[in-house]
Amino acid sequence: MIRETPAELYERLVLGRYIIRRLLQAIPVLLGATLLIYAVVFALPGDPIASMYGEKRMDPDIVAIVREQYHLNDPFIVQYWYYISGVFQGNLGITFSNVPVSEIIAGKFQVTLNLAFTALVMEAVIGVGLGFYAALRRGRAQDTMILASTLVLISIPTLVTGFVLQLVLGVKLKQSTGIEVFPIAGVSDGWRSYLLPAFVLAGTSIAYLTRLTRTSLAEILRADYIRTAVAKGMPRRRVVGRHALRNALIPLVTYLGADLGTLMGGAVITETIFNLPGIGQELFRSVYERQQPVVVGIVTLLVLVYILANLIVDLLYAVLDPRIRYE
Amino acid sequence: MRVTKGAKIIAGTAVLALGLVACGSATSTGETSAAGAVRMKIGEPQKLFYPGETVESEGVEVLAAIFAPLVKYDEDKKLVEYIADSIKTSDNRVWTIKIKSGFTWHNGDPLTAQNYVDAWNYSANQENAQSANYFFARIQGYEDLNPGEGKTPTAKGMSGLKVIDEETFQVTLTQPFSQFSTMLGYTAFYPLPEVAFGDDGKITEEYAKKPIGQGLFKIDAPYNKGSDQAISLTRYEGFKGEQPKFDKLQFKIYNSAETAWNDLQGGNIDIQEQLPPSAISTAKAELGDRYIDQEDAGIGYIGFPLISTDQYKDVRIRRAISMAIDRKTITETVFSGTRAPADDFINPLLEGYRPGACTACVYDPAAAKELYVEAGGPRTLELGSNMDNGHKEWIEAVANNLRSNLGIEVKVSPYEKFQQILDELDAKTYTGMFRSGWIIDYPSAENYLTPIFSTGAIKTGSNYAGYSNPDFDRLVAKGDSASSAEQSLKFYKKADDLLLRDLPMIPVFYYRMNAAFSEHVKGVKINLLNQVEWVSVEKAV
Amino acid sequence: MSDTVTPRSRRARHAKSPLRSPGGPSRGGPAAGTAGRPASLWNDAWHDLRRRPLFIAAAVLIGVILLMAAVPQLFTSVDPYDATSCRLGDARQAPSAAHWFGTDNQGCDTLARTVYGARNSLLVGLSTTVVTVLVGGLLGLVAGFRGGLPDALLSRVTEIFFAIPSVLGALLILAVFRTGTVWTVMLALAVLAWPMTFRIMRAAVITAKGQDYVVAARALGASGRRLMFRHILPNAITSVIVVATVNLGVFIAAEAGLSFLGVGIQSPEISWGLMIADARPRFLEAASPLLFPAAFLSLTVLAFIMLGDAVRDALDPKLR
Repeated sequence: MIRETPAELYERLVLGRYIIRRLLQAIPVLLGATLLIYAVVFALPGDPIASMYGEKRMDPDIVAIVREQYHLNDPFIVQYWYYISGVFQGNLGITFSNVPVSEIIAGKFQVTLNLAFTALVMEAVIGVGLGFYAALRRGRAQDTMILASTLVLISIPTLVTGFVLQLVLGVKLKQSTGIEVFPIAGVSDGWRSYLLPAFVLAGTSIAYLTRLTRTSLAEILRADYIRTAVAKGMPRRRVVGRHALRNALIPLVTYLGADLGTLMGGAVITETIFNLPGIGQELFRSVYERQQPVVVGIVTLLVLVYILANLIVDLLYAVLDPRIRYE
Repeated sequence: MRVTKGAKIIAGTAVLALGLVACGSATSTGETSAAGAVRMKIGEPQKLFYPGETVESEGVEVLAAIFAPLVKYDEDKKLVEYIADSIKTSDNRVWTIKIKSGFTWHNGDPLTAQNYVDAWNYSANQENAQSANYFFARIQGYEDLNPGEGKTPTAKGMSGLKVIDEETFQVTLTQPFSQFSTMLGYTAFYPLPEVAFGDDGKITEEYAKKPIGQGLFKIDAPYNKGSDQAISLTRYEGFKGEQPKFDKLQFKIYNSAETAWNDLQGGNIDIQEQLPPSAISTAKAELGDRYIDQEDAGIGYIGFPLISTDQYKDVRIRRAISMAIDRKTITETVFSGTRAPADDFINPLLEGYRPGACTACVYDPAAAKELYVEAGGPRTLELGSNMDNGHKEWIEAVANNLRSNLGIEVKVSPYEKFQQILDELDAKTYTGMFRSGWIIDYPSAENYLTPIFSTGAIKTGSNYAGYSNPDFDRLVAKGDSASSAEQSLKFYKKADDLLLRDLPMIPVFYYRMNAAFSEHVKGVKINLLNQVEWVSVEKAV
Repeated sequence: MSDTVTPRSRRARHAKSPLRSPGGPSRGGPAAGTAGRPASLWNDAWHDLRRRPLFIAAAVLIGVILLMAAVPQLFTSVDPYDATSCRLGDARQAPSAAHWFGTDNQGCDTLARTVYGARNSLLVGLSTTVVTVLVGGLLGLVAGFRGGLPDALLSRVTEIFFAIPSVLGALLILAVFRTGTVWTVMLALAVLAWPMTFRIMRAAVITAKGQDYVVAARALGASGRRLMFRHILPNAITSVIVVATVNLGVFIAAEAGLSFLGVGIQSPEISWGLMIADARPRFLEAASPLLFPAAFLSLTVLAFIMLGDAVRDALDPKLR
């Protein structure tokens, strides 16, 4: 048993209350977002049942019977009610081919999660590393070089980096060396399959993070307490490592946390280029096939990821910066 | 408050949890014990495995390994009995089917005539809403099971199905139909074991996930659609006919042909049907006799909505449009040889095809323009197509052909799904030309005629052009009731002549089957229904 | 994110109650009065911008792209909208004297298509930017200035939009329209992008509201409307403009992405994203129909992001 002082107990209660309040605040966001998506999906032209039958004309009676089975003849708000009450019971519904949406999504979600996390790690390592280096070399040639390359990296759309890297690092490298260093499509090569797509997905974020690290660290290095520490004769390595880095981390963590949702939601183009069977591709396909429950399910999950990631970021934020208090 | 340990722990665990989610369970995708298996690429099956609900090629491929059909088609495209011992008729209307004895289900139960009757009645009943429902429309008593929406079927089964004894049953059709026996090789006519049905008389989900068949392979584990990336099968030692020469078969699910082709080159899969056009030149050059290029039963058309507009009424306009399409360059450049120029309404794969029968299919831009002007064809045409499955490229090419050869405007109307074109054609909100295609349900020349061009197919079939010609209907009916196959074919060819004259749709290309297999296997053969003949496949090492 | 960490928003909400004086002219609030032409923020910025190599490079690039969009005939003699210019038999040719960028899968000239593609990209980028700045900016101004219920409501609404991943959201919206055009793409992008502008504007207005000169102007009896448009807006708008410039590039990239996915601009219209999508199936056989539009797309986005960078540095000297 951990003994708590009354003050600690009080703080724990406040923290608990804070988390609960944040989660409660998330409910209208979740409801609003799903309602919005449901409405858009509802407005999609085309009959989800008829389009399941490929290019043959289905017996209209059969189609009507199937429509009835899935409540498709009910008004919009009734259908939404069926859906959302299911969600609160942890049930994402079933597809029009009678498969639970959760089963459809689970495997695809894993792929996208793997992709986003690989990207996040790359971002953290490369972005922070480069930014750190640039900040220490501020104003010199290396700094300018890094800044210029971030500009380029931000500007080139994923669409372009994706294809160019696929061609250069995937195909050409394989042709010239005979070894497949970076698989260019699918997930059949385990973690190696994710390297190239994750880098493409992370590209813009790496550049932003580099810039953010550089600015943040540079600012702190100029701060009075750092100057004092240096003046006192503390070794530079220690100053940078202990004092500056910790404070510089705050905006970086915020950025990384918020980026998880962006990466997952933005993965559709990367997944398409590299043929990764993730939720982006699944959503895209489901939109085509009018599998409304899958579409709404995926977006609901992404909204949840966004909400959770932000909550975690706020908590981390407080851990890193003792001055911050929860209200 | 200052942040406490509590906050740190919570934040820490949350981060950890997310991290764990990211790393965990990456292996649970059904790829167990694939060592030594013959691996074949498929796309994701659209549904679970209900034989009467599976009409798309991916699910059909899997079911074909698990079930064995009544009839097969040999290398000369001739019908041979497989599970059936004999299929007899004297008037093309009453058919007596006897199955060979000794065949068993994968659970050991004997295969009986009743299994067929149960399965067919199930699929034909509108209450079960099976996609293959229409296959049974020729059987007597079908109407009783399909009274229409909102009404309850008045019978439990079709009166035309009768069990004679354990191994024999009788099928009575409403009209004579000489091609009935060719239909029996199709998925929809597979039998179902007793265990497939639950207490409510419906096929259970458990069964649909792990179907018990009576064919060459049994499925190892329930298939979880969406999460499973592979379906593993093991040879059924109790199969009474000729058995395959290897014991493990695995279908690997890919969502792109390009990825699969990559994996085939890398040795991760062994068999791939339908290579992407971009792979053809490499496949031809590098695979040698491991590359298969054979005829396929599919046809691609461009159709005219004759039923809803008079714009294309003059047959000269349709002829001119047909002659303005450069089929040869399109099949060579856009499809890299995965299609062949069409020159008849009957596909070269089947008996009844006559090379060069379609004179309007010969590319002649000058004559086309002349004819088009002479007939006073419209200055602007619309061409609607769904843009998925690689249709976009050839539709654009056709549009460019018409634009430059006829000197007219062509507006390409993109649709996401073919069904949307159908909806708009039915509602008459779209009245332009449209792309269409046909893949046979059973290998008979008749299957290129009745379902697409007969008057009866306007409402319920695939006669999207709305072509209605009593002479045509009469000739097909004569073929259906003719006493011999030769006689039937004679009438079907005459019906084909009418189509070639009237051009309600214009045939543009025939599909080709472009498949490849790895060094690990040999003897890969693909049959008329685009299924691999597993009995002839051998492992090479 | 939310109102948790920063106490600013709360404070701002308490600080309302504009003092209304009955129609006092109040000419010469501190900020307005000293805004003599030579020393204004904008003049300073312009003066500063003209010397920046980054700005000059961006301006030249943008100039060329604008010219391409306005008069593509200057850059190519081929009209890619004319079907007779494409010969299927010439498909997938490597770059040559006749076709500098080679030909695509339909045998059309890649150079001509690339040049003509600039127009739709710019149209989407510019129109989306204008709409988001107008809608997001105005709402942000009102929410930040008035506070209270409208602010609370609008802020909640933007939270919902923020939670929806923008690419997927745009994909869905576009799927509702059967055919994508410049305007549907603009609409889809704007619907999802305005909350960003809203937040920036709102935050900037709240900051500006607390500035001494605004408090002083209010004390001198400036009306609400005058305060809002004359004193607060000119200061708050700078950050919106910086973000808008960068976003213009982002929108252009987004258009390409959506067209690539097949829900954006549709053939026969020409768009770089569409060209990339068309070239993709045969990418490994013929890369030039994909790489050239990709390069132009990247350069255009780069130009606008460089411009945004330069403008930000000029307008916000603190960040230098």
